[in-house]
Amino acid sequence: MTQTTLKAEGAALAAAPRRARRSPFQRKIFPYLLVAPAVIYLLGITLYPGVFAIYQSFFVVTFTGWVPNGVGNYVDLFQDDEFWAALWNTLVIGGISLTLQCAIALMLAFFAYRDPLIRGWRIIFLMPMLFMPSAVAFIWKLAFMDGRVISDLLMRVGLISENIDFLGVVWNARLTLIVADVWQWTPFLFIIFVAGLQAQDKEIEEAARLDGASWPAIFWNISLPLMRPVIAVAVILRGIDITTMFTNVFIMTQGTPGGTTETISYFIYRTGFRLFNFGYASAASAIMLILTIIIAQVLLKRFFRSGRA
Amino acid sequence: MAEIELRNISKKWGHFVGVKDVNLTISDEEFVVFLGPSGCGKTTTMRMIAGLEDPSGGEVVIDGEVVNEVDARDRDVAMVFQSYALYPNMTIYENIRFPLRMRRVPKEQHAALVQRAAEMVELGDYLERKPGALSGGQRQRAALARAVVRQPHVFLMDEPLSNLDAKLRTAMRVQLKHLQRQLKITTVYVTHDQVEAMTLADRIVIMDGGEIQQIGTPHEIYGDPANTFVAGFIGSPPMNLIAGHLEGGVFSAAGLRVEGLALEGSREAVLGVRPEDCHVNGAAGHLTGRIFGIEPTGDQTFVSLRSDDTLIEIRADRDFRAPLDSTAQISFDLDRLYFFDATSGERLR
Ligand SMILES: Nc1ncnc2c1ncn2[C@@H]1O[C@H](COP(=O)(O)OP(=O)(O)O)[C@@H](O)[C@H]1O
Ligand SMILES: [Mg+2]
Repeated sequence: MTQTTLKAEGAALAAAPRRARRSPFQRKIFPYLLVAPAVIYLLGITLYPGVFAIYQSFFVVTFTGWVPNGVGNYVDLFQDDEFWAALWNTLVIGGISLTLQCAIALMLAFFAYRDPLIRGWRIIFLMPMLFMPSAVAFIWKLAFMDGRVISDLLMRVGLISENIDFLGVVWNARLTLIVADVWQWTPFLFIIFVAGLQAQDKEIEEAARLDGASWPAIFWNISLPLMRPVIAVAVILRGIDITTMFTNVFIMTQGTPGGTTETISYFIYRTGFRLFNFGYASAASAIMLILTIIIAQVLLKRFFRSGRA
Repeated sequence: MAEIELRNISKKWGHFVGVKDVNLTISDEEFVVFLGPSGCGKTTTMRMIAGLEDPSGGEVVIDGEVVNEVDARDRDVAMVFQSYALYPNMTIYENIRFPLRMRRVPKEQHAALVQRAAEMVELGDYLERKPGALSGGQRQRAALARAVVRQPHVFLMDEPLSNLDAKLRTAMRVQLKHLQRQLKITTVYVTHDQVEAMTLADRIVIMDGGEIQQIGTPHEIYGDPANTFVAGFIGSPPMNLIAGHLEGGVFSAAGLRVEGLALEGSREAVLGVRPEDCHVNGAAGHLTGRIFGIEPTGDQTFVSLRSDDTLIEIRADRDFRAPLDSTAQISFDLDRLYFFDATSGERLR
């Protein structure tokens, strides 16, 4: 026993000098060389455009050249009613759909997580997320507006007597965006919440049961507070995504009626690629970036500090 | 306040039988301990009493009422889990108050009731902390306080002391027994520790392989074991079991012969004798062996003796000294011998 260990150590010692032949400098640099291509690629498509946009936001960009403008773009933005409207629209549409999808997903998760069938087949609920977003948006556009499928259905059931004008009325148009987003993303939250609930200690639930708690009471007093970190992560992920909501707006409403469904992303797109005011669009992007970072930070701190037992 | 009856209770998962045909009546205010090795179905049986597990067959009866279809919530049973299962998001105060809130006890009484329960388990100073900030012993007491606060019909405790260190366990054991006497609540207690079982129980239920092996007072279980399993499980060190042959009132095994027994017939049998009923003498005895090991524990000395292939444990007094491998003669207390059937393991009487 002792003999073999000694032999093994001897072999290791003999092998050591061969490994040491690479110089210390090489040994330090080598790992970085290995990850360099990926890092360069990632920085190239994220950091570079970001820095470029921030730099560009201090210029008035025309086809003939860049004219330095200081913080002029930002000053203009803060006085631009359309920008404020876009900010407000994003907040309203995003806020309502995020609240709705969270509430619906939590409720479904609460009813479903003890069901063995859902444990086994929860991957199926990911389906709506797997469809191409633009295709989904087109289908909703068809259902609400062009094809009037929804109006038609409602008329046949007798709930309404004439076609609903989904594009013409402010809240109808916003509603279509909310419905589309809720449909596509509730399952994602549902899965996260089901996983969170299933990961909880079953004995705690049983103890509460014996203490006389009903299922809703258990959910409200125990499961939900314990789920705080999970909910926080889900809300932050979805929140960032919703803040940059673009595809549905671009395909379904294009900001109509009267810009009341124009989100910030769409505002930036319109300013940059329709009005070709790149400096101005860059400034708006920079503001949005800062806003998302601040909100995410605040949420993270709030939920995780107090979430700790 | 409550009498519990289990009628032919069993639990199967697929083909696996966790608990098999358990029959048991627990009378009011009794302290019953389920004792058995790990995996023998103690927890499962207890969970069926609580209503956390549906029996595959049989009936659970509480106070004369079949409660199989009664939800766990409505059985008025309190349980202390092995993991304690405290609510990590609530303070200890809120934890103990939770059953009162859920059972709609008037709010004005909460503070006083929680205070009293906390004092009963000497936990008064920690009420504002969360479970994560307590030691194992404190958590255990918090779980106990949560169980006693609402004066349930039945107490169920699943190895509540197993996560504590030896010293604390002894102290908590005394407290637990005192508490149960004080509250007079029918209690079922699960453990795999025979010392806990012996010291706490009014009656012990010994289980193995999902079946009850014997039910009796600690005294009966120790002095009158029903089969080789019980004989070998209870006692520390356990009873010596020596295989041999019984014929015409004479038991014989290699190097061993005991005569004048009141047992008829001829059969393969097992002789059981407790370490304290064996004596090392200088003169002739029932058995001759070589000293294999000597373990002094301070107040007594355990001697293991090898005779042929069997090892026999003997309790000698504290001053016993002898060189290893020396020959020793053993004699038994003849009225303290037990005989079991070699195949079934059942006691021969
Ligand atoms: N949910 C379950 N599914 C399948 N087998 C189980 C389940 N719960 C317990 N068992 C099995 O039943 C037997 C008894 O378990 P248990 O009552 O927990 O034993 P213990 O006496 O240690 O408390 C064990 O063999 C265990 O593996
Ligand atoms: Mg157990």
